[in-house]
Amino acid sequence: MNPPAIVVNDLSKRYGNAHGVLALDRVSLSIPGGTVFGLMGPNGAGKTTLIKVLTGISDITSGSASVAGFDVRKESLKVRARIGWVAAEVILEDDFSTWENLWLQARLQDLKDWEGRAEHLLRYFGLLDRKDDKVSHYSTGMRKKLEIALALLHQPTVIFMDEPTIGLDVATRRMLWDIVTGIHKEFGVTVLLTTHYIEEADALCDRIAIIDRGRIVAEGSPSELKARVRSDMVQLETSENLDAATLAQIPGVTEVRAQGNDWIIQVGASEEFLPQLFARVHPNQIRRISVEKPSLETVFLQLTGHRIAEEEPMQDIRKFYAQMRRARA
Amino acid sequence: MRSQLWGLYVREVLRTFRNPFVVLVTLVQPFMWLAFFGSSFVNLASASGKFGEGTYFAFLLPGTLSTSMLSVGMFGSMSTIQDKRFGFMKRILITPTSKETIFLSKAFGSATRGLVQIPVMVAAAYVFGVSFPLSPLDWAAWVLALLLLAIGFSSLFLAITAPSTDWQTPGVVSNFITMPLMFASAALFPSSSFPSWMQAISNVNPITFSAALGRSFLLGTSVDWFNLLYLSVFAVLMVVIGYIVSARWLKVE
Repeated sequence: MNPPAIVVNDLSKRYGNAHGVLALDRVSLSIPGGTVFGLMGPNGAGKTTLIKVLTGISDITSGSASVAGFDVRKESLKVRARIGWVAAEVILEDDFSTWENLWLQARLQDLKDWEGRAEHLLRYFGLLDRKDDKVSHYSTGMRKKLEIALALLHQPTVIFMDEPTIGLDVATRRMLWDIVTGIHKEFGVTVLLTTHYIEEADALCDRIAIIDRGRIVAEGSPSELKARVRSDMVQLETSENLDAATLAQIPGVTEVRAQGNDWIIQVGASEEFLPQLFARVHPNQIRRISVEKPSLETVFLQLTGHRIAEEEPMQDIRKFYAQMRRARA
Repeated sequence: MRSQLWGLYVREVLRTFRNPFVVLVTLVQPFMWLAFFGSSFVNLASASGKFGEGTYFAFLLPGTLSTSMLSVGMFGSMSTIQDKRFGFMKRILITPTSKETIFLSKAFGSATRGLVQIPVMVAAAYVFGVSFPLSPLDWAAWVLALLLLAIGFSSLFLAITAPSTDWQTPGVVSNFITMPLMFASAALFPSSSFPSWMQAISNVNPITFSAALGRSFLLGTSVDWFNLLYLSVFAVLMVVIGYIVSARWLKVE
């Protein structure tokens, strides 16, 4: 395994005074170089705060962190020269052309011979023939591509992608997944990606840390994490109240949780459970039934007791603000 | 730092002058000052006999140019808050660019915006009958004085608004600062006619020093170079304060 690109030791971040919100609670991580590492959790879990701390935007309350071999607190400028950043919302200089945006980025990174690299990146992202166009005329997908090109211009060691697909339509999101996989292979960068989309983490990441309420609750490759959940989840909606004991007595059932007529039943193998269920409960009593095989969603559910999707309304608010900002710009 | 400063400075200037509305206002506003304010006072001013030789427009021009440098400070702080609100400040600070560099680029960018008004306002004054018996050295000294004033006020505005992310702050601060500084100065009227407490403010107000220097060139009176020295000290002091405040309190978002 490659040496770590990011190391976080017992890191805590509290906003405001001693009674303020504890956004990160003794987080420890070691992210191997050259990997796509996912930080998965609902909104408010601490994902963005961890990126802010690692990029030097926010102070550390306690603990330590290093990126690309440099201490985030003591060697902030060295860290910032070695990282790229892709925000949840596209942040570009809209009054500038593509080339002018790259020029500005080169200035900010204090790069001398950047033009060849810029052309290579524009060619890679299919933007070279549009390099003199104002970016305000670009589609969202093109703007996202340019933002990633800006993040790669100075050949960073690590790229932080903070919910890069939030608010994007399905096609653009898929395109961005291809880009993340592509740049990881083409440019050999370590990618730290935050997301609350389960399928995104599963599709893109070599390793994943699940974060909830400021704490890392699990870490591993997607298959390692899924292997932790050896059971299937059966969700059941019944037309009338059932006796929980009826379900709990079915062989292979390890846990039964009820909320009114909605049931979540953890079973060893759903294939063996379902015939037993229909033998005990009349099909007319069952309104809806679904089976979830071990997935990152079920891992998250089992580890935290709640679903990532429970936080969806917050995502809508963020999407709304992102759209408002784009509209204003 | 030079690379980042130049990049951000160019960004400030291009953003300003690629906005057609800003260009239009920059070109029209000087004419409006002279046309509305100057014309409304010109007869009264002539009758009072307190404005020295020449027309009231010749008296007014150095004052209005100086007050223009006061108002440009607001644009630098507005631009800073816009960068914070739209996330661009974060984009800048995730590169090896310091907060102090951001401050300097904003201050110089605002000052440049102010300087562009000089030729426009001079042309407007010419239309209103002002003559310009200045040597190249006089012009250079006058422009330098205005540049120092613009840098000083831009730095002051940026220092005050550095910790804020609120859109309203630059406007409120501008209203709070601009009016007393503009009227408690010799920009529009001679301070000899002020009550003593306003004279006390006017006597330390950098606008008074800038206006006095400009008038000495324009009206052909003896030049007091202390005015330029005072403006230099004002600019340096404000830059140092803005630099320190930005490094410590410039909010990212």
